[in-house]
Amino acid sequence: MSTTLFDSSNPARAIAITGSGGSGAVTTGQIMLAAVARAGFYGLMTRSAGPQIRGGESAAMLRYAAQPVACMGDVFDILVGLDWKNIDRFIDEIPLSPDSFILTDPDTGPAPDSLHPAGAKILEIPFKKYTEPVEGGRINMAAIGATGAIAGLPLDALEAAVGDVLGRKGEAVVASSLACVRAAWTDTQAMLCVTPPTGTAPERWNISGNEASGLGAMRGGVRLVAAYPITPASEILEWLAPRLNKVGGVLLQAEDELASVNMIIGASFGGVPSLTATSGPGLSLMAEGLGLAVASETPVVVANVMRGGPSTGIPTRSEQSDLNLALYGFHGDAPHLVLAALDIRDCAFTTQWAVRLAEHLQTVAIVLTDQSLGQSRGVVDPPDSYNGDHRRIRAETPGDAYQRYAITADGVSPMAIPGTPDGMYTGDGLEHTPAGIPSSLHHDHTQQSEKRLRKLQYFDYGEHWAVQSGNGPVCLLTWGSASGAVFEAAERLTAAGSPTRVVALRLLAPLRVEALREALADAETLLVVEQNQGGQCFYYLKSHDVLPAHTRFFGRPGPLALRPGEIITALDEVK
Amino acid sequence: MSTATATDTAPALRAKDYKSEIKPVWCPGCGHFAVLSTVTKALAYLQLRREEVAMISGIGCSSRLPAYVDSYGFHGVHGRALAVASGLKAARPDLTVLVAGGDGDGFSIGGNHFLHACRRNMDMTYIAMDNEVYGMTKGQASPTTAPEWDRCKLTPHGTGVPRFRPAGIALAAGASFIARGFSGDPGGLTRLLVEAIQHRGFSFVHVLSPCLTFRPEHKEWKQRVHPCRLATTNNAAEAARLIQEDDGKATGLLYIEDQPVWQPENEDHADLSEIEAEFRV
Amino acid sequence: MNDNAKIIETVPEFLAHAVALEDESAERYEMLADSMEVHNNDAVAELFRKLMRYSEQHAEEVHSMASGMTLPNIPPWEYNWNCPDMPEGGDCISDALNYLMTPYQALNLAMHNEVRGRDFYAWVSRESPDAEVRRLAGEMASEEQEHVDLLQTMLKQTDITSEAPLEDLDPPNMPDG
Repeated sequence: MSTTLFDSSNPARAIAITGSGGSGAVTTGQIMLAAVARAGFYGLMTRSAGPQIRGGESAAMLRYAAQPVACMGDVFDILVGLDWKNIDRFIDEIPLSPDSFILTDPDTGPAPDSLHPAGAKILEIPFKKYTEPVEGGRINMAAIGATGAIAGLPLDALEAAVGDVLGRKGEAVVASSLACVRAAWTDTQAMLCVTPPTGTAPERWNISGNEASGLGAMRGGVRLVAAYPITPASEILEWLAPRLNKVGGVLLQAEDELASVNMIIGASFGGVPSLTATSGPGLSLMAEGLGLAVASETPVVVANVMRGGPSTGIPTRSEQSDLNLALYGFHGDAPHLVLAALDIRDCAFTTQWAVRLAEHLQTVAIVLTDQSLGQSRGVVDPPDSYNGDHRRIRAETPGDAYQRYAITADGVSPMAIPGTPDGMYTGDGLEHTPAGIPSSLHHDHTQQSEKRLRKLQYFDYGEHWAVQSGNGPVCLLTWGSASGAVFEAAERLTAAGSPTRVVALRLLAPLRVEALREALADAETLLVVEQNQGGQCFYYLKSHDVLPAHTRFFGRPGPLALRPGEIITALDEVK
Repeated sequence: MSTATATDTAPALRAKDYKSEIKPVWCPGCGHFAVLSTVTKALAYLQLRREEVAMISGIGCSSRLPAYVDSYGFHGVHGRALAVASGLKAARPDLTVLVAGGDGDGFSIGGNHFLHACRRNMDMTYIAMDNEVYGMTKGQASPTTAPEWDRCKLTPHGTGVPRFRPAGIALAAGASFIARGFSGDPGGLTRLLVEAIQHRGFSFVHVLSPCLTFRPEHKEWKQRVHPCRLATTNNAAEAARLIQEDDGKATGLLYIEDQPVWQPENEDHADLSEIEAEFRV
Repeated sequence: MNDNAKIIETVPEFLAHAVALEDESAERYEMLADSMEVHNNDAVAELFRKLMRYSEQHAEEVHSMASGMTLPNIPPWEYNWNCPDMPEGGDCISDALNYLMTPYQALNLAMHNEVRGRDFYAWVSRESPDAEVRRLAGEMASEEQEHVDLLQTMLKQTDITSEAPLEDLDPPNMPDG
């Protein structure tokens, strides 16, 4: 038995915990994430589960480091089995290597054969034994202690984390949990003599992608949300409901998505920035309503947390396959905004930016995130706030000649808010004259269509349309949650002497064609990376003629996340 | 139930002030002209400020009403007017929100929103103009069309499906104000609209408004429509019996009851820094 | 006649009714004129507009009769008409109304309304207990009679043609949905 299991000069670890039937694997992950935060690190935690509402098999995956972590990496260093029931469900998501360790309690039986091919080392730790002397003692608490010791996390960080996560369950639960953590940690530490490293402690937040989306909405000024629950977006609504109230806003639970989208149109018509949150099936239902928002120039924002599709698909897993729907899903010529968050923090920034843009441009903004961002928690730098000044342009003193859809230089027409005298107009999905009177004439349709396109096309979106890094002849192009693995792959390649640049798109529509061409200039190898079957972004970009002919696509549908190592391999094949 | 009493001061806004400049495109003889007229009279009676009234509609001949009223309006997509109105009222409880639509918009594609709007009991008035046909799309059977009507190409032997009964469904769904009016009785309809707007809660006004283009035989409604023989009740069980025995052509205020009104109730104005602090490690 | 109608007893009450009647009449004719114009029946549109102007004039006269007085603000449903609905405006369901209607049919419709208006005033001029009310009502009944006479003349001068208009060969449209 080596006394140093991991290189303590590199305090980065990836840990997976699995268990079932109430063993508390997810809680274990949450406590470990909190411990990592307490110890001064950055971290990322995701989870996976069976279909049961409770008591099913589940897994928590955690990765932490001294710098921000945006993906799960290629391999897990430690796999902890609280028990081994149905581990096969997760095997593909928890890749191991010969340098990995599997922690198992001999009392639960041996680690299954399916784990053997990875060649990982087995460590037997008697979790159950530590719980016996403690009333209410739990196996997962002992596992936390043991795992923390092996990973090199200090005991005080683990203890504080137990308080953070279990505090609301009462003193007795906290006390018994601490007892198990301590016992297991002390014993394991004594056996292995691992020196806990210390991390620096800049200000960090512990936040999930869905919470960040909710925060971004509020920062952007949203004060009315109407929505129908759907996996994996419901947490956005759960987080927003009480907090909206605190700032004088309201959340209205709708009877279905058809109601949700129309409710936010009504609220926005009334002058209040409004938002709904949904996933693919809900976005499909909202298509007609969103077209109405585009045609009537009513600002609304839809936070679409993508999941496995098509149809009911895989509700609890991630995929990036709603891009086509977001871009092309409305009938008629209906230009609108499509944005995508790059990581958990970026859910806040992108949603806030989307709200500001939608309000100013009086249009629909669809913000794409996905289950892997929405339902993962990160210990991250505080999310950036969008500092631009865009807001809805109101007609404060409309006169007799007020025209709701007046043709203006930038295409945006001042909007009279109900309650404003003399501003009365009827908003309409029918094509209309500048005064808002329904019209079937060629002249009006051309003029209004052009206005609705022009207001978006010629707007100055600034630098936020993408995040770019690096330079060199090799270029990775991506969007959404795939960015995490892409940036890490590029860093590794660059550090190994192959300079690799990344362009991660945040504003997908309208496409910043010139800026993108410039960003891709002189790229000899170009790979578009995204998590869907058909290369939805790849073909979208091709259709705009911005991709050189030698560009290739790498990706696959969910649920397996794209990993940095796979991207590097794919790039090798293309070079 | 309260009715405004006559005062001795002259009103500042007259009914015609609530009409927009746009000339209705309804067929001459359409019942909806009377609805437009009575809406303007009701608004004038209540002296509501035009900029504080919002009229929401869906698609259909009835749904053209907002353009003809000089107030804020929103002409949305088919069947969704109640949802738009609910979002508007939640965001702007200060506005008087009126919803207009027809029997197809309201009871077919809009059926689900109708149920939940009655249930939610937000303070708004829903004017459903029922001509027992889909006029805008050239005369198909609607949910309130009698099962034996066979004059439509889509259902040449009649629909064979019993009528949708809006008043009964409104009651079962929890509406707190259910009235039926008739475009051929404008005085009575004006009064119902005034009471509906004054009622705090979801007011459902079912207006029989014939389409003389596609259902010319409905001019006989003038003979068939009659005042409800029973007095207004605030007892839901009594109202249920009344409505069950109703021939669908009885006018008046059938049911009214004060029920909790859904509305946002927060006076809080915390700022975001408190909320952001929750995330700090 | 509606036997339950309450007798009108005061001048302000009477003038309030007269204002309402004339305003309603003007509104009604205007709606009809606009509707006919929108449906491209110019001859009938013009006719209704003329009738609208007569009603507006009459309304102005009543307003000036009422100057200096404070008229009661009677809710629209509490007017004491002596017939089931508003004499000159109530009949919203008439199968004579049709975008193809002829001037002759329009005049008949108007005649029906003006006759009811005249009959209302005549009833008040007979039944009101107040002498001034009776006098004013009498004046208005005479004025309405002039309208009726005018319409009779116009009817005689107008081509009867057929009672039912020729069928429109084009099928209906569906503009919105």
